[in-house]
Amino acid sequence: METVIRGLVLYLFLMILFRISGKRTLSETTVFDFVLLLIVAETAEQALLSDDHSMTNSLILIVTLIITDISLSLVKQRFKQFGKVVDGVPIILLDDGKLLHDRLQRVRVDENDILESAREMQGLQRLDQIKYAILEKDGRITIIPRKEE
Amino acid sequence: MRKHNQELEIDEDIELERKNWAVERVAWVFMAIVVLAALLGFTGNGGLKGINLLTAGSQADGVEVEYERYLRRKAPSELKVTLYPTATSPERELQFSKDFYDKVQVEQVVPEPSEVYTHEQGITYTFSGAGSTSPIIFYLKPKHMGSLEVSLKTGEKSLAISQFVYP
Repeated sequence: METVIRGLVLYLFLMILFRISGKRTLSETTVFDFVLLLIVAETAEQALLSDDHSMTNSLILIVTLIITDISLSLVKQRFKQFGKVVDGVPIILLDDGKLLHDRLQRVRVDENDILESAREMQGLQRLDQIKYAILEKDGRITIIPRKEE
Repeated sequence: MRKHNQELEIDEDIELERKNWAVERVAWVFMAIVVLAALLGFTGNGGLKGINLLTAGSQADGVEVEYERYLRRKAPSELKVTLYPTATSPERELQFSKDFYDKVQVEQVVPEPSEVYTHEQGITYTFSGAGSTSPIIFYLKPKHMGSLEVSLKTGEKSLAISQFVYP
């Protein structure tokens, strides 16, 4: 019984925590984001398993987490609005070549992050080659280049 | 699917996102408060005297207890009891209420008691070496979460301490 409760509590806790800490927190954009992810994973393991290292405990925990994940995705599919609240929505950061500064500030992204994505994904050199930049639900920035005239 | 500028198909919901940003800001403040509270000792495991580290009784009472207000389930903690010898009771006897051995796992007692026995009211430890005023240390692990009310009794004097065990 305790294993299931531990699994559920931690699943919900981490889901809420990462949702409210913002999209960019664990997007692994810097080494520190990666380190943070490692430490959180290591700490969560202790809370999940406690001092019970039995096979039964691990198996029950894995099944609990997976069934929770499946249930949640079913609910999200059924109720679209719920899905939006849980997962967040994509946000346009650069609209038709124009940077939306208030949004950039809110989601803690700057021009350099957009340029980095533009280089990585499209091989673009300048900001004016970008038509749209979108911050996706998972914290990545996707780029749509301006068509060459 | 809605179209942004008649060309970009995106399910953007800026109203929801704005609400989200507001909640985020509140949550950050809340997280900062949690960290601060933990530093002060409101979540156990160290902290300031008077918040987490408390003392009950005094030399005049014949018994003094140092304890932590906030404990954590299955995490080690200490309880320090100092028994001051009185003329009426040369034997150093310490009685705990039933909750103490029901809800707490006693890992070790230093010094070793010469005798331990349970009874209707709880559990009694007897220590040899009359006249010594060095503290007796109980190494404990709480077994259940929730509030933990323990009363101690030695000779005529009794003390009640109230602790809280986090999950």
